Amino acid sequence: MLEIKPIINALRRSKVGAVLLLIQIAITTAIVSNAAFIIQDRMTYLQQDTGYPEQDIFSLSVMTYGKDRDLSQQFEEDENMLRNLPGVVDAAITNAVPLSGSGSASGMGLKPAPEPGRSVRAGYLMADDHMLNTLGVTLSEGRNFYPDDVIVTQDPNKLPKVAIATRTFADEAFPEGDGLGKMMYIGDRPFKIIGIVDKMKGPWLKDDRPDNVIIFPYIKAETYQHIIIRTEPGQRAAVMQTIEDKMLAAYDKRVITNVIAMDEDKRQYNASDTLMLRMLMVLIVVLVAITALGIFGLTLFNISKRTRQIGTRRALGARKSDIIRYFMVENTLICAGGLLLGCTAAILMGQQLLQRFSLPALEMQYVAGTALMVLVMTLLAVIFPARRAAQISPSVATRSI
Amino acid sequence: MFLHYIDLGWRSLRRTPTVSFLMVLAIALGIGITMTSLSVYHMMSMDPIEQKSDRLFHPQLQTMDDGNDTWSEDNLPFQLTYQDAQHLAQAPVGRYKAAMLRTGFTLHMENSDVRPFIQNARATHADFFNLFDLPFIYGSAWTQEQADDASPVVVISEALNDKLFGGRNSVGEQFFLDDTAFRVVGVVAPFTTHMKFYDVNNGAFRDHENLYIPFSLIAVMDIDTWGNSNGWKFENIRSMKDKRQSEIFWLQFWVQLDDDAAVKQYGEYLMGYMAEQQKSGRFNRENLQFGLRNVNDWLDYRNVVSEDNEVLVALSFMFLAVCLANILGLLLAKFMRRAPEVGVRRALGASKRQVFLQHIVEVSMLGLIGGLLGIALAQLGLWGVRLTQEYYSPLATMDMTMLLSAPVIAIAACVIAGMYPAWLVCRTTPATYLKTQ
Repeated sequence: MLEIKPIINALRRSKVGAVLLLIQIAITTAIVSNAAFIIQDRMTYLQQDTGYPEQDIFSLSVMTYGKDRDLSQQFEEDENMLRNLPGVVDAAITNAVPLSGSGSASGMGLKPAPEPGRSVRAGYLMADDHMLNTLGVTLSEGRNFYPDDVIVTQDPNKLPKVAIATRTFADEAFPEGDGLGKMMYIGDRPFKIIGIVDKMKGPWLKDDRPDNVIIFPYIKAETYQHIIIRTEPGQRAAVMQTIEDKMLAAYDKRVITNVIAMDEDKRQYNASDTLMLRMLMVLIVVLVAITALGIFGLTLFNISKRTRQIGTRRALGARKSDIIRYFMVENTLICAGGLLLGCTAAILMGQQLLQRFSLPALEMQYVAGTALMVLVMTLLAVIFPARRAAQISPSVATRSI
Repeated sequence: MFLHYIDLGWRSLRRTPTVSFLMVLAIALGIGITMTSLSVYHMMSMDPIEQKSDRLFHPQLQTMDDGNDTWSEDNLPFQLTYQDAQHLAQAPVGRYKAAMLRTGFTLHMENSDVRPFIQNARATHADFFNLFDLPFIYGSAWTQEQADDASPVVVISEALNDKLFGGRNSVGEQFFLDDTAFRVVGVVAPFTTHMKFYDVNNGAFRDHENLYIPFSLIAVMDIDTWGNSNGWKFENIRSMKDKRQSEIFWLQFWVQLDDDAAVKQYGEYLMGYMAEQQKSGRFNRENLQFGLRNVNDWLDYRNVVSEDNEVLVALSFMFLAVCLANILGLLLAKFMRRAPEVGVRRALGASKRQVFLQHIVEVSMLGLIGGLLGIALAQLGLWGVRLTQEYYSPLATMDMTMLLSAPVIAIAACVIAGMYPAWLVCRTTPATYLKTQ
């Protein structure tokens, strides 16, 4: 019914065209399935929820060079000034800005050093009791810092006694899920976990543990310091514009830099992923278009070579639909071969990428999805030339013999 | 004859405009995409200091006690401790040597309308400029005496000299770094490479520093690094003095060794140094180990070329292969249709070789046009790269090598694709076609 045998015989006689088509389909399948998988992987990464209302938050850095004022006091005044600005919800001085790609991390011990024991690494933020509100995150368990928990000091021997941690961190340290109220250690200094936040990303989204974050109620005023500010929705741009002047008006022997919105900061940190994403998308689109064009061209070529054969068949009583079906089946056969080769290549390529680069293992549904898409594309690319072939008049066969 | 073939090729291309257009488009897209990723890759993997990259070495010391891990593939720490760097800088071996770290200051001037601004700085030894062949435009590096006295002197880059002093000879001028007055002793020419190969810790393609200050100031001014510090054991660090005496890794170090003998001697020196330190209680490990990599090995070791980029280059060459398969198909169709004409030519005395060459010339022309169009597409692609990733801006350009290789790759690709169709068509037996005409 489907005339598979004669089709295969015909293909055998003109191998080159078929082989070319097969190769194109195979490579396309291999590239597209891997690229689509990488794209999906990066998309999930880029669109993850960070736990912050990114569109309302911005940060800035302060580098103070004047020595004529007490830094701690200056920053205290700055915080008050900032919190009272119109449009500002809250502001906090901090050592590091979440999502910015720069910050500090350390292992928090379950036992005081030098006693041997497990330690859990976390990115840490040092700020006062306004930090949670500034970042727009809420506690799911425990309490916020009281103002007298906050240590403002220049003495490196004074360390905080309490901390707020993310659920992920607390659960890694205490797998029973009862981290609240437990003691942990920075070196030999103890601190107690008094509050737990469900979702809050650290400074590095690409860290292998981006969710391990801890906040200490601690302000050691440094000459280089960051400030995070959350504004009322829609007010951010206006506040950002005047912030440098406001800060310099309060004290001018310092430089205000890096005034940057949180989402923009994140975008810059992730720019290389966005780049990869875009390049791969362009590659896939162009590749699919080129392959479709190739199939289209090759079918046209096959038909022009077989004009007389088609005319003869038509003259011998084949209907137009038979001719169309002939080409459709022929292409499906080639496509099936190409897909078989392509899927194998895709899987091998996925393994290579997994081995050589830090990419996750290719998921099979991407290969299957791509194969289906390529098949549909192949059939679509064939329909038009096949219909044209069906228009060949039987009289062609009788001419010029 | 060649000109005649070009003429024939041109006529042939014009006779089938759609097919020619499709072929040119396919090769242009293939080249465009390949050159976009290849250009970035090329700029990333370029030798940053060709004239002496095999003579500059970054030593590494395995200072960690047994049982401790760092993140490198061979478990050697990437950077050095202050005490080791300090010691190696004083060592009698090695032609030029410099320890270094990245730091920064607020730069401000008295009576100037330049608003105070933050400026990155590199604290290093005076040999830095000899190591990396940086010529001075004005003045010179600081003297040994100034280094010994920890004088507040500074070498500035040409760019900073332009900004602060309008490009004039600023030797002897003063400005403040934080609250210390520094005197300019030299203005140095810029690096010719975008790659900060001597310190890849915070991104190998960040800008070079514009200020260079004597290494001895680190101890005197309690300067901390603005780069990475990595520790491997708990140490009670309460001050910069503690940090300088600690086992934390936070300095880079480069040494110039002119021949294999010097490299060997330096290795022996490092082993001797470690053995000596072991006696004083450091390096609690069985096997003493050091690393000594030259510039290119170092960049390879530190994975300066991003993985994403390597994946993209591989994918885009596969894409080029698909484009080639396409062109091959189209050429087959085109050339076979011309078989009767070729039959006549063969009958009139053209040799197989001539027919073959004629068709190869034709596909080369396709390649040339496609390659040129591909360069234009690649420029578009690179523009997109610069737009998405600012950090890549200095990298996302095509240099002369890339501009020249684009048409070469395009023509080579087209010739490869055209080989089979041209061979098929040159085998045409004249008789078959003469009969039917």
